[in-house]
Amino acid sequence: MKRISFWLLLWTAAISGLHAWLNVSWAEVLNDRLPTERRKLNVAYIPVT
Amino acid sequence: MTDYIARHALDGNLFIPKMFQGFPEIKEALISNRVQAGFLVAPMAIALRSQGVPIKVVYLGHRYGSAVVVQKDGPVHSVADLRGRTIAIPSRFSDERLIMLRALEKNGIAPSEVKMVEMSPADVAGALAAKAIDAFSMGEPFPSQAEMSGFGRVLFQAREYWPDYMSCVLVVRQDVIDGRPEAVQTLVDGIARSGLWLEKGKPYREYAAEFVGRYYFNQPPALLKWALTRPLDRVMYAPLSPRKRDFDLVRDLMIESGLLDKKLAFEDYVDVRFAEHSQIKTAWKFEPGTE
Repeated sequence: MKRISFWLLLWTAAISGLHAWLNVSWAEVLNDRLPTERRKLNVAYIPVT
Repeated sequence: MTDYIARHALDGNLFIPKMFQGFPEIKEALISNRVQAGFLVAPMAIALRSQGVPIKVVYLGHRYGSAVVVQKDGPVHSVADLRGRTIAIPSRFSDERLIMLRALEKNGIAPSEVKMVEMSPADVAGALAAKAIDAFSMGEPFPSQAEMSGFGRVLFQAREYWPDYMSCVLVVRQDVIDGRPEAVQTLVDGIARSGLWLEKGKPYREYAAEFVGRYYFNQPPALLKWALTRPLDRVMYAPLSPRKRDFDLVRDLMIESGLLDKKLAFEDYVDVRFAEHSQIKTAWKFEPGTE
C-alpha cells in the first residue's frame, strides 16, 4: 500500500510539474502581480493579417 | 505588428502579445481587463463603446484584406447566385458582415434571402472544403488558404464594394490611455513603423510572412506569402490613422443593419491623439535577411 501511494504521489507531482512548465505562462502570472504602472500591457490579436 | 509587440516584450518590458482564436474572446478579455489592448473588428469596437465599455480605438491594424470566397467548382459565380446560400462571417459585429450586406443590397438581394452563420475565422476554410457552407466573408489569410488549397475561389474583394474598407482596429482600455499614454504611443508608433516597413515592397512582405507564420501565427509561411503578395495591395498597412469618414460609414451601416441604436460621435469611440503624434514616424531601418 505504501509503495503504491509513493508512486501515485510521484506520478501526480510529475504530471503537475509538467503541466506547470508546459501550460502556464509564468511571465503573465508574474506580470499580473506587479503594480499597475509597472505591468506589461497584454495585447490581444488573432492570426489574421 | 505582432513581432514588434513581442520585441518590446523582450527588450522594453512593455507588451505581452496574446493570441486568441476569435473576436468574441478578445472582447471578453478586454472587458475583464485580462488584456489592456487588442485588435478587434471595427463594428465590435463601436458596439462595445456604445454599451459603455471603457475602450477607445487608437489606430488601425490594416486596410482591405477581406474577401468573400465560394467553392471553386460550385454554382456561385456572382453575388446574385448567393441567394438562398449559407455564408460564414466572423461575428455579427464585423466588417465582413457589413460588406456582405452592402454587396447583397447592391445586387438587389434582401438579407433575409441568405443565411449568415457566425464562425471562428480558423474554421471557415475547412467548413467550405467540407461543403458545410457555400461561402465565407473573412479576413486574410483565410481567403488565401481556400484559394491556395484549391477548393476556394474569391468571389470579390471587400474593396470592390467598399473602396476605403478597414477591418481590424487597435483598441485600448481607457484607464491605460489615461494612466500610461506613453506606452500607448509606443505601441501606435511601432505599428505605424511596421506598416511603413511592410509597404516597402515584396521582399519585406515575404520576410515578414516567414517569421510571423513560424513564430506567431502558427501558419505556413507560404500561406502568408500568398496573402501578402498576391497582389501586393491585397492587404495594405498604410495609411492606418483612423479617419472620421470611414468610421461614420461603419457606424451608419451598423445603425441600418440594427447593430447600433444611436448615432455615436466619432470622438466618443476614437482617440486620434496617438495617430496624430505618429505621423512623422518612418519605417524600421531593417533589411530582410540581415538578422
